[in-house]
Amino acid sequence: MAIRFMLLVSRQGKIRLTKWFTSDWTAKEKAKAVKDVSQTVLSRRTKMCNVLEYKDYKVVYRRYASLFFIAGTDPDDNELLTLEIIHRYVEVLDKWFLNVCELDIIFNFQQAYAIMDELLIGGEMQESSKRSAINSLKRMEETEKSEQASLIL
Amino acid sequence: MLGENEELSRLIINCLSRDLQGNSEIFACLALHAIANISGREMATSLLNEVQQLLVSGSHTSFVRKKAALCLLRLFRKFPEIFEAIDWAPKILYMMDDRDFGTALGVASLVTALAQVYPEAYYGAVTKAVNRLHKIVIEKDFTSEYVYYKIAVPWLQVKLLRLLQYFPGPADLQVFRRLNDVLAYIISHSAEVPKNVQHNNAQNAILFEAINLCIHLDPASELVDQTLGLLSNFIIAKETNSRYLALETMCHLAATGARNCLDSLRVNQDTIVASLKDKDISVRRRALDLLYSMCDQNNVRVIVAELLQYLPIADFAIREEMVLKIAILTEKFAMEYSWYVDVVLQLITVAGEFVSDDIWFRVVQIITNNEVLQEYAVATILTALRSPTCHETTVKVGGCVLGEYGHLIANMPGCAPIDQFTALHTKFPICSVQTRALLLTTYVKFMNLFPEIKGEIIAVFKQHQSVLDVELQQRANEYLRLATRDDGDELLQTVCEEMPAYPERESALLLKLNQKIADTEDKRTWIIGGKDANTEVAKAKAIRDAAIAAAGGAGTNGVPRPVAAGKGLLKTFEDKLQESNNPPAGSTEEADLLKAIELSKLDMPDGGLSETIQKPTTPAAAPTVDALGAGVIDYSLAKPVVKALSGGMDDSTLYSRLVTAANGLLHRDANLEIGLKTEYREHIGRIAIFFGNRSSHAITSLAAEIQADPKQVRVTLLQPLPSIIPPGTQLHQIYKVECLGVCDPLSLLNVACAIGDGISLNVPVNLSLRLPILLTKFVTPIQLPANDFFQRWKQIGGPPRESQAVFRPASGTVVATSDLAKIITSLGLGIIKYVDDSPLSVVGAGIFNASELGKVGCMVRLEKNEQYEMYRLTVRTTNEIVSDVLRAQIEECVALHI
Repeated sequence: MAIRFMLLVSRQGKIRLTKWFTSDWTAKEKAKAVKDVSQTVLSRRTKMCNVLEYKDYKVVYRRYASLFFIAGTDPDDNELLTLEIIHRYVEVLDKWFLNVCELDIIFNFQQAYAIMDELLIGGEMQESSKRSAINSLKRMEETEKSEQASLIL
Repeated sequence: MLGENEELSRLIINCLSRDLQGNSEIFACLALHAIANISGREMATSLLNEVQQLLVSGSHTSFVRKKAALCLLRLFRKFPEIFEAIDWAPKILYMMDDRDFGTALGVASLVTALAQVYPEAYYGAVTKAVNRLHKIVIEKDFTSEYVYYKIAVPWLQVKLLRLLQYFPGPADLQVFRRLNDVLAYIISHSAEVPKNVQHNNAQNAILFEAINLCIHLDPASELVDQTLGLLSNFIIAKETNSRYLALETMCHLAATGARNCLDSLRVNQDTIVASLKDKDISVRRRALDLLYSMCDQNNVRVIVAELLQYLPIADFAIREEMVLKIAILTEKFAMEYSWYVDVVLQLITVAGEFVSDDIWFRVVQIITNNEVLQEYAVATILTALRSPTCHETTVKVGGCVLGEYGHLIANMPGCAPIDQFTALHTKFPICSVQTRALLLTTYVKFMNLFPEIKGEIIAVFKQHQSVLDVELQQRANEYLRLATRDDGDELLQTVCEEMPAYPERESALLLKLNQKIADTEDKRTWIIGGKDANTEVAKAKAIRDAAIAAAGGAGTNGVPRPVAAGKGLLKTFEDKLQESNNPPAGSTEEADLLKAIELSKLDMPDGGLSETIQKPTTPAAAPTVDALGAGVIDYSLAKPVVKALSGGMDDSTLYSRLVTAANGLLHRDANLEIGLKTEYREHIGRIAIFFGNRSSHAITSLAAEIQADPKQVRVTLLQPLPSIIPPGTQLHQIYKVECLGVCDPLSLLNVACAIGDGISLNVPVNLSLRLPILLTKFVTPIQLPANDFFQRWKQIGGPPRESQAVFRPASGTVVATSDLAKIITSLGLGIIKYVDDSPLSVVGAGIFNASELGKVGCMVRLEKNEQYEMYRLTVRTTNEIVSDVLRAQIEECVALHI
């Protein structure tokens, strides 16, 4: 039981971020999954439930402004909690970028990935505390900056 | 961007390893992320140890350890065989109590995965999980940082609740009571619906997991009764997620089949049926599953009626599944045959295109086997056929059934033979070829049953005599012949005998559905353990267990290497080696030998190399080993042994062939044949070991593993071996070997298996075969000009980096120089020409590759003395150990060459 993949899709169907926690899919399968899942999710109306079934997976999604956050999980995973993982991710993004918007993710995708790594490893939740996640991100940024500085000097 | 199989990812292993061991936590964490994201097998095997160390070492903060736990989980999921999960159980379980919630969560995830594979080793997790839950839920022991919308660490709670579902209920009464308290608390505190969405979700996430655990522990318990009330509120809730999950959980309840659950579900039946018309397809699917699960003889009519009513408006995506489920329910719970026939016909009419062949086959089968049903069925089908919209599947069923049992209703009004015929034949033109062929057969049966319509039928056959489709044409012609024979239709009657009843067999439909469930892991996933446990894990485990057992068995005699454990052939090989290493001292022959050396030296052409040849040290010294470490060995002493062995295809002969050859047999007896295919590239090699079963029985509990010095050779199993070989088949396993240092010439393949049917005869077989993972296999040839060679030869100089031996071949006579060159080439060395002009010597050079030792240049000179039938071998390399080992290997190879 784990998250198999995460997708960030804009309302127009543009893929903003994909993250695979499974390695046994070929590029073709991945592309197909992205296409199928994003289409089905986009065509759903609000107020419908946040869970749907795609092949042997469950897809849990939630919309934040113009972005859909989609997680594909094993069929027996806890759906509501997956939903809250998405929410926590958004919260951390929000805190990190200070009022996150789609552009932040487009231009700072590497940070968005780093934040996801900080929350999830191998599709499992690793840190549920917002503060601790932000702290480690800050530490990393500082190290990066000091390294850059020392390179210049 | 960077896939796990790419070349580049192999290059960064060392970097990652350094980061993992380094002081900086941040670098270690980044390395852990990288491993979790892109680790392939090679990376996993080389870095597993370091990740484990990070996890358990007390010196790191929770920041690193939680990542290490999840990284390990990811590695375990991908390559379950590389992790010694059982040995690590105590340490990992200990970490479940970690004060830090992040670490505890990571470890809980890891334990959940491990517990499914090794439930016994991780049984201790139960008590720990219960205690932790008790602390969080009842004692409220948590920090504010980990409160998520008023709920304390929902992730950890859910993970622990899930973990407990992989074990039977706690045996200890006190623990059980604690768990009960926790569950009761969770359930009683979830009645009110919080306003905040996140709060609500987190609360419900825990609640549903708790309910699942309750059901797992005891579906008839009081707690489950309590939850039923909650669930029935949920399924009428406004919020779609709650409805969806409540339905799913009810499915779980229905799947247990407990009386109290089913009763309560029945109360809610109307709501559930209403959910079938929900706006959301996810909810509709769950409702369908639930209705299917809760159906029994009492409510089957209502449920099937509802389903049928819903079928025409259902989504295409779920129609096929619905049809299948309706068909199964009607068959399983039908109390009256007439009802069954009605339903199935309705099913075909409503959703004909979704009715697979299996379904109508089954219908015909049931009608044929139930005599009471036949008359009613025929009449109903005939009526259905007359409707203008009838589906092709109806025609198929009609064709079969009328042909067999049409006579039963021939006397009813409107069902005269000609009526039956026209009913079918009006559909004939619109049907597919397959159906038309079936109808032709029906007609020939009609001809037998009702001779009065023979004229019409023959007309049809004549019409199809030259139709384009071969199948139709053939049938038409054959049937026409059959009809126009003048033996009074005797043959026709025999051909058209009534079909015998089908043998009772399991419904193909159920099989199909079960298969589907296995695929999609539907509600039956609640059966514990089956979840993540893939067959691969089981296989790898079986192999490992068998190997452990075999090693244990072989090790009992106290010999450090289990080689000598009674393997006759191998022992003789060792004996032989020993014999040849210690020839009887002081024999006259040895004196001759030394003389021969002297002579051969004198015989040396005065070429550039002559000054490099060492004078043999004092001839009076111990004759077996001279000061240079080069033994003067007479292999001809070993000759009788060699002869005796080489009579059959014994392992040592096969082995010595493999020393120079890449592929060949390793072992062969009446039952088992083991072959070897190898491919070496620098310091890496791939070894495929083939196991062929030559006996007439299956070989069972097969386990094989390579035993090599881990400091010198790293062996990785790439493709494991199934434990059973059926008779007459061949299976294989593949290993990767990596040369780290100087290869120990003693690598072994330990094979344990049993031959026989397992009942009457079962011969255990234990083999320990020498594997030629030799230094020479990792040598790549080089070519260099004679001058360069000579210069380097001088650079290296004499001992200790030179190793020399003088010996007599086993066959007693030296071979031609060209053969010597062949041997040298087959050992991976390149022949260097024009170094010395003697026709009696061969000179070769190569590079030995080892990943840790690095590259070692090797130079070899082999001379022969035809007069005395002796060889002298000189090896110079940049590493003294390599010199000795290489010399010994070439020497053995040359000496035993036949």
